[in-house]
Amino acid sequence: MGIIDLNGLEVRLGGRIVLDGLTGSLQGHAIGLLGPNGAGKSTLINTMLGFHPPSKGTASVFGLDSQRDKAQVRSGIGYMPENDSYIGNMSGVRFVRYMAELAGLPAGEALERAHEALFYVGLGEVRYRRVNTYSLGMKQLIKLAQALAQGPKLLILDEPTNGLDPMARQRMIQLIKEIREQGSARLLISSHLLRDIDETCDEALILKDGRIAALCNIEEERRSNRSFMELETVGATEKFSVSIRGLGCECACFPGGRIKLVIPDNVEVRDLYVIASEQGVQIRRMNRRRDSLEDIFLRAMDNEMGRAAHVSL
Amino acid sequence: MKWGVRHMSVYKHIYRAYDGKVTPVWTRVFVLARYGFEEAWSSKITIGLFTICFLPFVFFLIGIYLANNPLARALTGFRGPQVLTINAEYFLTLIEVQSWFALPLASWIAPRLISFDLSDNALPILLSHPISRFGYVLGKFIALFTSLSFVTWVPCLLLFTYQSYSSPLPWFAANFQIAVGLLIGELIWIAFLSILGLAISSWVKWRVMATGAIFAATYVPAGVGGIVTAVLRTKWGYLLNIPFMMTTLWHRLVGVPESIRGDHSLPTAAIAATLVMACLICAAMLNARIRAREVVRG
Repeated sequence: MGIIDLNGLEVRLGGRIVLDGLTGSLQGHAIGLLGPNGAGKSTLINTMLGFHPPSKGTASVFGLDSQRDKAQVRSGIGYMPENDSYIGNMSGVRFVRYMAELAGLPAGEALERAHEALFYVGLGEVRYRRVNTYSLGMKQLIKLAQALAQGPKLLILDEPTNGLDPMARQRMIQLIKEIREQGSARLLISSHLLRDIDETCDEALILKDGRIAALCNIEEERRSNRSFMELETVGATEKFSVSIRGLGCECACFPGGRIKLVIPDNVEVRDLYVIASEQGVQIRRMNRRRDSLEDIFLRAMDNEMGRAAHVSL
Repeated sequence: MKWGVRHMSVYKHIYRAYDGKVTPVWTRVFVLARYGFEEAWSSKITIGLFTICFLPFVFFLIGIYLANNPLARALTGFRGPQVLTINAEYFLTLIEVQSWFALPLASWIAPRLISFDLSDNALPILLSHPISRFGYVLGKFIALFTSLSFVTWVPCLLLFTYQSYSSPLPWFAANFQIAVGLLIGELIWIAFLSILGLAISSWVKWRVMATGAIFAATYVPAGVGGIVTAVLRTKWGYLLNIPFMMTTLWHRLVGVPESIRGDHSLPTAAIAATLVMACLICAAMLNARIRAREVVRG
């Protein structure tokens, strides 16, 4: 049983299929939900929260059906919505306390945790100010605070860095990392910013047109031995490429002496220089990069069939 | 002390999960009601309206005191019991006055309960907790219903109790129907007013406009009903006239003969059916509005 289990999940809204037969088990500590606009990210979140009934299949959170056990599922979830969502004429601490009480905390505990959550996210000094006087970044943080105050088992963050300046974004990413490392709450982070997911998540679910385009373990991808390199050479490029293929590299040549290659673990960059020197080839430029989430995402988007795939490179 | 491992810490700035006691799910409605109640009564205008609503209560209280105290009546110059007779008509006047004073209070409070949540798009967060749409509306309804109770059936029954206490014992036994009528009549009125107020508040963005719209929803159909009655020469136009229907209902509940012509009198079943229909329309309006706003679109 995963954190989130999708079993042929289909959701129709207004007669249109928005989620189409999603099947998969998400088990990471921090799960990234990626996809272009309209891919169905928010619909999937809303379905897990029990707002949209599936037309087929099921969605389970911690083994509980999102429709049948709606109250129990919601009890275990802290939700930070994408858009502004607060009660503006309440003070920060009162708002967070209110949400914690709705989640089931007794009044005294809720007040205590509201103070703690606000200090934790960095709003301790402004907790008695009305929420509608907060800046955009502070409003994002208070949404996070209200989701945290109840101490959820699953924290759903929908576009948590939306509208934040670089400093505030860094602070938000840091908070998410801390929560992940602390380990008591699992995270589901929906974002269109690959960098945010790359920095915070260990598993990614990529949606496209309501289908799973890819479900990958980012950590495993990072650990994989794939290493990409781009070279710009002058000289006998063809002969050079044949030689480096002999080392076990996969490579492709392009006009202008450009070569793209994947080098296995047992090959060092130094070996390339040795061969180049022997063949009188000049290496003018060398870019080395590991496969990134962006590559995974782009490949998933390029997958015309849009079929569910555990991405392998 | 409660500081344990399950707590976060203000000064350490660390996150800890909560694994303490959790309240039963059914009690969350009362959390909404309590916060709604606090919100309603945080306004000075609410306090002002509440105070005004008690002026008739004081007036009627003095009336009962004078009616039952010959010495006080003599001192203040009242001439005998025929001037101040505490009977069903006296309490009918009371119920009518208190009920219509409750209308501005409801019109002021109802938008405060709903509009803040809608204007700041709070519903996605509120309803992501273990609370249903019905629970949300019920919580707000309880807050408004309780607030209106303080100015309607509670003072009415207090005055009835005072009259019963001040009069010889047979008065209570002979007039018990008045108490039942007061309670039922006011409960019907404030339940209707609460659901109407919440439904209209959910559809009108600005609070002041919502307050006006609640008045309009009470009186404009009455005008339309009057036109229907006059043009078609039928009594059924009165079914759009909420003040008329409620007054008729209060007469029957308290046990006072109606003053209108018999052929214009509406059957109680028709009044009840109309009120139920109106409440169902209001509930449908609330459901549609909250359903549309409970999720973040896009």
